[in-house]
Amino acid sequence: MPGRRLARWVAAVPMAALALATIYPLVFTANVAMKTRRDYILDRFSPTDSLRWDNIAEAWTGAGMARYFANSFIVVSFAVALLLLLGSMAGFALSQLRFRGSSVIFLGCLAGLFIPFQVIMVPLTRIMADSGLVDTYPGLILAYVAQFLPFTIFLMTSHYRTIPAEIVDAARIDGNTVYGVYRRIMLPLGVPALLSVGILDTLFCWNDVLISLLMMPSPEHRTLMIGVNSLRGQYSDDIPTFASGVLIAAIPVLMLYLFLQRQIADGVTAGSTKG
Amino acid sequence: MVRPAGSGRAGGETTKQRGPREGAATRPASRGARAERLAPYVLVAPAVLIIVLLRLWPLVLGVNFSFTGDGELNGTPVGLSNYLELAADPLFHTSLRNVGLLVLLLPVAVAIPGLLATFIYLRVPGHRVYRSVYFFPAVLSPVIVGAIFNLMLGFDGPLNAALGAIGVGPVDWLGDPGISMFTVVGVHVWATFGMALVVFLAGFSTLDTSLLDAARVDGASLRQVIWHVIIPSLTRTIQFVFVTTMIGMLTSMFGLLFVMTSGGPEGSTYLPEYYIWHQQGQMNRPALASAASTVLFVVMLVVGLLQITLLRRTGRQD
Repeated sequence: MPGRRLARWVAAVPMAALALATIYPLVFTANVAMKTRRDYILDRFSPTDSLRWDNIAEAWTGAGMARYFANSFIVVSFAVALLLLLGSMAGFALSQLRFRGSSVIFLGCLAGLFIPFQVIMVPLTRIMADSGLVDTYPGLILAYVAQFLPFTIFLMTSHYRTIPAEIVDAARIDGNTVYGVYRRIMLPLGVPALLSVGILDTLFCWNDVLISLLMMPSPEHRTLMIGVNSLRGQYSDDIPTFASGVLIAAIPVLMLYLFLQRQIADGVTAGSTKG
Repeated sequence: MVRPAGSGRAGGETTKQRGPREGAATRPASRGARAERLAPYVLVAPAVLIIVLLRLWPLVLGVNFSFTGDGELNGTPVGLSNYLELAADPLFHTSLRNVGLLVLLLPVAVAIPGLLATFIYLRVPGHRVYRSVYFFPAVLSPVIVGAIFNLMLGFDGPLNAALGAIGVGPVDWLGDPGISMFTVVGVHVWATFGMALVVFLAGFSTLDTSLLDAARVDGASLRQVIWHVIIPSLTRTIQFVFVTTMIGMLTSMFGLLFVMTSGGPEGSTYLPEYYIWHQQGQMNRPALASAASTVLFVVMLVVGLLQITLLRRTGRQD
């Protein structure tokens, strides 16, 4: 069908342009990060003449990105581990075990999914402050767990629903306790979903701005994203170093994307086809 | 993959009740059985505790809080005065007007990824590459996106340079109150359309290809195929994208505002979430902020429900 083939090629042109518009801003930033300040002022567009790592080093040590990076790493690791543990436990119980109140509990988790953080941020900050958790690692970890747990439970429950009840039955007949079933059957069978949810939770926590802004007020506790923003004022006349800071914050996520694109997409679409 | 679970573990409780379903009929009195009956509750308890204490309870607390005063009046009931103050605050007006703008721009933000997904599904040359390229900004933090676009949109930045090359004068993307909100929304769409695109593609993969083939055999044009085959079969996906995109616009633009405009120029890029943060953190008006939170929640509920009924109705007409 020649008409349709033509239409495809016509569509290909704006699509290629859009792809360029998607990539270019990051390429531009990476390029600027490699330039000297002088090069940047003279000509910010030309490709850098050499790969220069001074700016990256300056951003990493001089601007304290190393500290922010470590903060983010600690908080996100603990938060994601907790999310996966609690999410898979609840998901298993809600999908495979029948007990009084299970549907109410599931609905409660769903309700949690539909409460945006902005709506509860004032009272939540107050609760955290009253418990002495503001400006502590456990406080931010707990805030992240609370924020993303409903989503994690939802995805784990819908994953565990696909596991036939016979498997659990058989394991029970073999003498496993409920906890044994969880540990020996459900955790191993949940790995694909745990991976996909875990990556998404990692992205959510790593990329968060508002929660860490509220929970970690002091400069030495800043997470990476808040740290990047603080570079803006500090290096307003040294754009290459600022761009380096942006690059440092973006690289882990880009790595994750390059290697695990499939799982990320699966997680994003899970709610649209199931549920 | 499934090894015969626990086969090596011939404990004393092998002859327990059959199956995992906690039959209400069988009620063994042994201690093990009670532990087993409690097990589901133990499994969900930590999650329930966290969700109730840190998500549901704050919602109640916040609504309650919005009827009390700030500062000296902390804790004392003040009736509707916070809401009256919101109603009179031009900054809050702007933030609500901007929500209206987002709702108006929503169809565009849904149509762009929808159209792109259609072309990718129809195997435009290079479709494999486009999918991964378009999706990648979706994993970047709003802070990173905002920082990158601060560079891109600078007065002598790349975008103005490109426009200058075709003879369009430099635009003050973030400094002009009439333009800045559109700029921020544009950047948000740039950063998130890949998300909706992937959802659309997942919807396409459930599409019945025989319908498409039939339409093709009947000589339907591309427009007819999109309008009469693709859109009706994807109502569920389209609904999902509409609702999630709306939620995204109303709740995840804080990072961009924080980095790119700080609500300015002249308060033109205020959104409720930024207003809430500003009142709580900068102005020390938590009760007023709570009132704004409550309004935001109601707005989101109304918009969400409206969308669903509206889309249901159009879905039925087809």
